[in-house]
Amino acid sequence: MFKKMNFTKIIINVFIIAFMFIWILPTIGLLVTSFRPASEVSSTGWWTVLNSPLKFTQFTIENYQQVLNQGGMAYAFRNSFIIAIFGTALPVLVAAFAAFGLAKLQFRGRAVVYTIIVGLLVVPLQLTFIPVLKIYNALNLSGTFVGVWLAHTGYGLPFAVFMLHNFFSSLPDDLFEAAYIDGASIWTSFYKLALPLSVPAIASLVIFQFLWVWNDLLVALIYLGGFQEVAPLTVKLSSLVGSYGQNWHLLTSAAFISMVVPLIIFFALQRYFVRGILAGSVKG
Amino acid sequence: MKKALLLILSIVLMAGMFSSAALAQDSVSVMAVWGGQELDAFMKMVEPFEKATGIEVQYEGTRDLPTLVTTRLEAGNPPDIVALTGVGMMKQLAEEGDLVNLSNVLDMDRMNKEYSQTWIDLGTYNEDLYGMYISADVKSLVWYNPKEFAAKGYEVPETWDELKALQEEMIANGDTPWSIGLESGAASGWPGTDWIEDIMLRTTDPEVYDQWVNHEIPWTDARVKRAFEIFGEIAKDPEYTYGAPTAVLATNFGDAPNALFTDPPQAMMHRQASFITSFIRDNNPGLVAGEDYDFFPFPEIDEEYGTPVLGAASMFGMMNDTSAARAFMRYVSTAGAQSIFVSELGKLGVNKNINPNVYPDDLTRQMAAMLREAPTFRFDGSDSMPGAVGSGAFWQGILDYVSGQDLDGVLEYIESISQDTYNQ
Repeated sequence: MFKKMNFTKIIINVFIIAFMFIWILPTIGLLVTSFRPASEVSSTGWWTVLNSPLKFTQFTIENYQQVLNQGGMAYAFRNSFIIAIFGTALPVLVAAFAAFGLAKLQFRGRAVVYTIIVGLLVVPLQLTFIPVLKIYNALNLSGTFVGVWLAHTGYGLPFAVFMLHNFFSSLPDDLFEAAYIDGASIWTSFYKLALPLSVPAIASLVIFQFLWVWNDLLVALIYLGGFQEVAPLTVKLSSLVGSYGQNWHLLTSAAFISMVVPLIIFFALQRYFVRGILAGSVKG
Repeated sequence: MKKALLLILSIVLMAGMFSSAALAQDSVSVMAVWGGQELDAFMKMVEPFEKATGIEVQYEGTRDLPTLVTTRLEAGNPPDIVALTGVGMMKQLAEEGDLVNLSNVLDMDRMNKEYSQTWIDLGTYNEDLYGMYISADVKSLVWYNPKEFAAKGYEVPETWDELKALQEEMIANGDTPWSIGLESGAASGWPGTDWIEDIMLRTTDPEVYDQWVNHEIPWTDARVKRAFEIFGEIAKDPEYTYGAPTAVLATNFGDAPNALFTDPPQAMMHRQASFITSFIRDNNPGLVAGEDYDFFPFPEIDEEYGTPVLGAASMFGMMNDTSAARAFMRYVSTAGAQSIFVSELGKLGVNKNINPNVYPDDLTRQMAAMLREAPTFRFDGSDSMPGAVGSGAFWQGILDYVSGQDLDGVLEYIESISQDTYNQ
């Protein structure tokens, strides 16, 4: 019995490692490519470095230098942070209020409201560009950060409400009843009970939303435009490539530069992330 | 707690107010597809303008220009100036009244003096000028390695018969004549459309070419079919083209010329537009223009039609009639402004007053001369067709044909898409 267990474990581990390897292979290729000179990238594949992995002369940091040294990179980083921080904080804040209300407060029609909000998940955001942009133009919001924050809040809310609603629903009602008997208002039970208990769920939501906003090119391009004062990193990096696709080798190093921030966020919140995904699925 | 919430909200509002882009100043917004060196060259071109007028040029770059322009137009805030991607786009926007008539903006007497009639005509729709050209690329070029040609005694062909003889000579020597790469991401197939267009120009009247572009003759026309067949004889045969047909379909257009510079060369000739020099230089550092790589005009096929020049060009259209936008258009129509742009990029000037000395090398000067002296110039056909055909079915048709599908079926497919598109 013991031996059999061990055997299945080994099989599972082998599978997991194999899948992880397949999963990460393109990223490794990208990393290797980002350190190779343009002439070699165009003539041989990245795996050719495996023939002589210790020959350091075949690598160069020129791609990184070229990306970082072009004008306006500091601007782009700043803009990306301004957009991503508020584009994450706003929807998470609003979604936490909304999800708590929908999950724990009794009022007529809450199932309908919840269904409508979750139903919005299937609306493609491309559909909203023209009408929203028209309203923004009338309100002088196009080309401003406030406009793009509101847009990201709108696009992020359905999923955020959906995720937090499920989590809040899994919290036992007894807990809130006890708090109510002790004299806690709705606000106190949200702030003192629901929020601290849902840190894992909120942390994973923050990761999701931050990644989406940080990596977004389309929403920023539509509502902010490509002007240097407001353009985020993604817009800036896409302008590295010429109209015929020249300089695409620079995109490999650009990808890693823009990946640094999400990686930091992910590792900082990682231990919440795993708990957050499990949130509500098992009691323990 | 409510205080904390208020605090957060007020911080959000404040940050929002500070961050609103300062667009209030006198400025002109320009939208284009340029990035990298192209963008640098553009910024260099407008620098003197900004200094002299105090007008700030705000550049917006995107690879997906038509989509963004359409969205902005619908929403009511189009850019002041747009770098139109082709005659097709210009006509479409002009027809819907989205472009400003430049005849009232530019001094037309000066324009007629400094621009040849070809460029004025190409920017004109319904007798009004809507597109102002700033630079051009020549497409009817065959690139080769002069050192290899000299070593093996190959001679530059001027006619199709000479080219055929040269191809046989190369094959007899164990060389592969051509290198072709059709892969270009979502735009795969376009290098093949240039072949077809060049062949069309050399096997029929320019008027027939125009009819074909405007879909006044069907794709199943014998003359169109012949152009495809001439292309197919080369591109589908592994004796004539390196690795055909698999490598033709899978090789990126930017990497295709590399085959000329391997040791020993995998192929001898490569047909591509003038912009390919930047790929050749980047991918093969150390090559010298004119010594290691050179070009000859795509040879004539039927003697009566000679060697017309196929090309592409960059042009500006004006979408908002502001005084800053007017000043910008007047500035970029001058030879002085265009000299900066073309000399940075190795593109070819369209203003007659541009001094040939601004070009970076002799090769570019030869191309400029070829463009200037061309008996017939035609704009890239696929760029002039409606998007669903010119950057859709035509590209797909090229890939299908090279991958071995029946030519009649391919042409019928493009024809069916054309009938749906042009009749709208």
